[in-house]
Amino acid sequence: MALSAESIPMRWPAGPLDIARGEKTKGFSADTAAVLRNWQDPESLAVVQGSPVNCLVVSWAADAGQQEALKPLIEKGKQAGLEFVGLIEGEANKPAAVAAAQSAGLAAVAMEGDAPASAGVPVIPWNKAAQVRSSAKSPVVGVSDGVFPGLPQGATPQGGPTNLPWVDSNGAILLIARALAPDKTVWIGFDPPAKAAAEAYQLAVADSASHGARWVISLDDGLRADLTAKKQPAADTLKKAIDTVSFFEQHKEFRTYQPNGLVAVISNFAEPNYDSAEEAINLMPRVRQPFRLIARQRAASASFAGLQAIYYMDKEAPDAALRKKLLAFANDGGILLVPSNWPKPEGPPAPAEAYLLFSMRQVGKGRLGVCKEEKPDAYDTVADIQNIISHGKDLVRVYNAPSSNFLYETSAQGKRAVIQVLNYSRRPGGDGALFYVKEPYQSARLVSPELASPAELKWDPQEAGGAELTLPRLSVYGAIELEK
Amino acid sequence: MRQDLTRRELLAGAGVGVGALLARPAWSRAVTAPAGKVTVASCKTYGTELAPTLDKMFDQLGGLGGLVKGKTVAVKVNFIGVRWSRLGNALMEDTYWTHPRIIGATVSLLGKAGAKRIRVLEGPWSTSESLEEVMLSMNWKPQDILNAAPNVEFENTNYLGRGKKYSRFMVPGGGLIYPGYDLNHSYEDCDVFISLAKMKEHSATGITLSMKNVYGTTPITIYGQDAGVDEPSIRPHGGRGNVFHFATRLPSKSAPQQIDMSLPKDAGFRLPRIVGELNSARPVHLAIIDGIKTATGGETAGGGAKAAVNPGVIIAGTNTVATDAVAMTVMGFDPLAEKGKAPFARCDSTLLFGEQLGIGIRDLKKNEILGVPVADVIFSYPAVREKLGPAGPPQKRG
Repeated sequence: MALSAESIPMRWPAGPLDIARGEKTKGFSADTAAVLRNWQDPESLAVVQGSPVNCLVVSWAADAGQQEALKPLIEKGKQAGLEFVGLIEGEANKPAAVAAAQSAGLAAVAMEGDAPASAGVPVIPWNKAAQVRSSAKSPVVGVSDGVFPGLPQGATPQGGPTNLPWVDSNGAILLIARALAPDKTVWIGFDPPAKAAAEAYQLAVADSASHGARWVISLDDGLRADLTAKKQPAADTLKKAIDTVSFFEQHKEFRTYQPNGLVAVISNFAEPNYDSAEEAINLMPRVRQPFRLIARQRAASASFAGLQAIYYMDKEAPDAALRKKLLAFANDGGILLVPSNWPKPEGPPAPAEAYLLFSMRQVGKGRLGVCKEEKPDAYDTVADIQNIISHGKDLVRVYNAPSSNFLYETSAQGKRAVIQVLNYSRRPGGDGALFYVKEPYQSARLVSPELASPAELKWDPQEAGGAELTLPRLSVYGAIELEK
Repeated sequence: MRQDLTRRELLAGAGVGVGALLARPAWSRAVTAPAGKVTVASCKTYGTELAPTLDKMFDQLGGLGGLVKGKTVAVKVNFIGVRWSRLGNALMEDTYWTHPRIIGATVSLLGKAGAKRIRVLEGPWSTSESLEEVMLSMNWKPQDILNAAPNVEFENTNYLGRGKKYSRFMVPGGGLIYPGYDLNHSYEDCDVFISLAKMKEHSATGITLSMKNVYGTTPITIYGQDAGVDEPSIRPHGGRGNVFHFATRLPSKSAPQQIDMSLPKDAGFRLPRIVGELNSARPVHLAIIDGIKTATGGETAGGGAKAAVNPGVIIAGTNTVATDAVAMTVMGFDPLAEKGKAPFARCDSTLLFGEQLGIGIRDLKKNEILGVPVADVIFSYPAVREKLGPAGPPQKRG
């Protein structure tokens, strides 16, 4: 089988290479080594039998021991319809490892940096988020440094009982990766903490999948050991994770929807702009404002239709064509927000508009906001942008879901939309999330791996326009399907 | 209401002499507080009955004209907590926030009474957004308030806002926790100060009424968790809990500092005193409490037994202590209660400090109570709590 955009990956640590690596880590036990040996046994493939997982990511190197140890596993797996990707890490002899992968019949390899010339198998670029790059030969692009999503471990609430808590999500880096490689499927790698709960695995799957990507499912040592020992709670935990994967496979159409929002962020998402871009995009959900990303490389051909504001955030000025297009957007009534070094800002100052971070200028029917600071705080930036664009035209708002983020996406024709809701606390709140939706849709139904069947939602029209939808309490994830 | 007050008298508080306040030593219990005039009205909805009801109440208090004609009037409303957290699907204005229609009706009546300029003020949670923006995020129509009278303005007083500098308000007599406070200019640049509050219980102070509403005048840039250390921060971040509730950090050094650092770091001790100080330093001339629709069980959504309720009552008065005392009675509490007795089971009585700071008198018998008999509008919050049980039911808007 060949690697494809539809491949559903799972990390499969097994064999002497993983044991040798494990032995260099603190707390590595003989039991863990035994599990790693056990998982090189073809019998262990029963764990994924009947599941949508069809691609196992094994550790790979120019290491004859590892190659030999995994040979039966790979052969049996391929017979069962599984494909294998070899993850080449560290300072391995990459050309030799790639050649061995080809000989062993692996569907692809994944590695950091550039692929060896004339590699005989597809090479998945497997880089940190800040260095994401795509390869013409691979339908998949990898992000190697994801975080396990949820509420930060050991965090204490700041500022009082009603503060919005910080959440750990891979949303920003995945949206950036997709903006940079729109024709690729994004895989993301990260490991779970020890003894992760079933809901934690569900969230890890959903956080990636809702952002249009795939988590290379990774099980913690304890869970793998318990699965080996055929313990039922472990099987139940894995089933919940797998059921969540299946849910997203049953709703593939979500991946075809485009993020909707009144504000777009334009950046090349590369140094020296990457960190500030990622942080701003991380924080956008916290001001509850749906948004779009536009890679600067594609901005000249991107549509600005439906946008109220554009935040061009790169330190480098846009080229002449893009600058002209951005200013035309402002001239036509849009709000263009730019960094402090924007050369020769157009238009006279708009003194009536006093914002903390942006100085506003009148440009045609619209406005140009020039940041007052060279290195503005990311949260202050998004908060000020929210203040400038106003809540008056909000497309969607969420109440009663302090630990949740949401994504609002619409189909190409705009007749369908989905609001995906992720609860990073992994437990139902006191109240279900309450959504305000501005646009008139005929129907709204909630689908979720947590629900046996879709639930029709009742519209509650609002006096000032729009309507609200009350969701039942969800532990991890739900999606509101909207149709006009 | 007394006519022709001077700005100095207004700032010092209706019925409270400036000299008397300034002469009072710190932590004096000897101050004679003035009696107040309070009126109570039954008003079940925010519909057409609201404005005539308010109009009548203001007439009972002596009329708005003498207080506000030709004056700049500041109206401090209550938009507490993170706005994204509601009580079930109940609207924020039907539970925790001053309802936009009572704000609009009050503004309209102030305009009709000749107010020169009406400024609606609040420091909403951790944001520099304009109040208009905050209202829009609740799907309100801020234009309805802005157009309710000539020269209506909004200002977010969480930070410096439109001012050039913060205004200092010293607590007459020296204060109990802080000797004074630095506030947004709006609280000085007004002739008349109105507290337009919601009738609620409070997790740290037992009740939150017209006195506690003044607590929200304090800027986050000085008293917030991320306030500047030496000078106020530019932007407001977080809440006031670290400085005021628990004293885990100090306000910006530019502001008056805590009198005695050995004072308890307990919100039940600190907040009632701080609220009393603020009411003493920045006196309220007219207190209005929105008890038409509100919530029991606390000041914001989240945790414990809480319910959206419709007591259908408005209370207004010329003195915050007296007005809050009447409101407490309406809520089924004893306004003379002290620490250990509901609603002050775990805190001191804010009203007690209001009395001791010379703001007003808690005893209803010593105040002039007008309008409908209080007994006719009692809506017992303890009874609601008892009915709900410890967890309370899921909330649905009725």
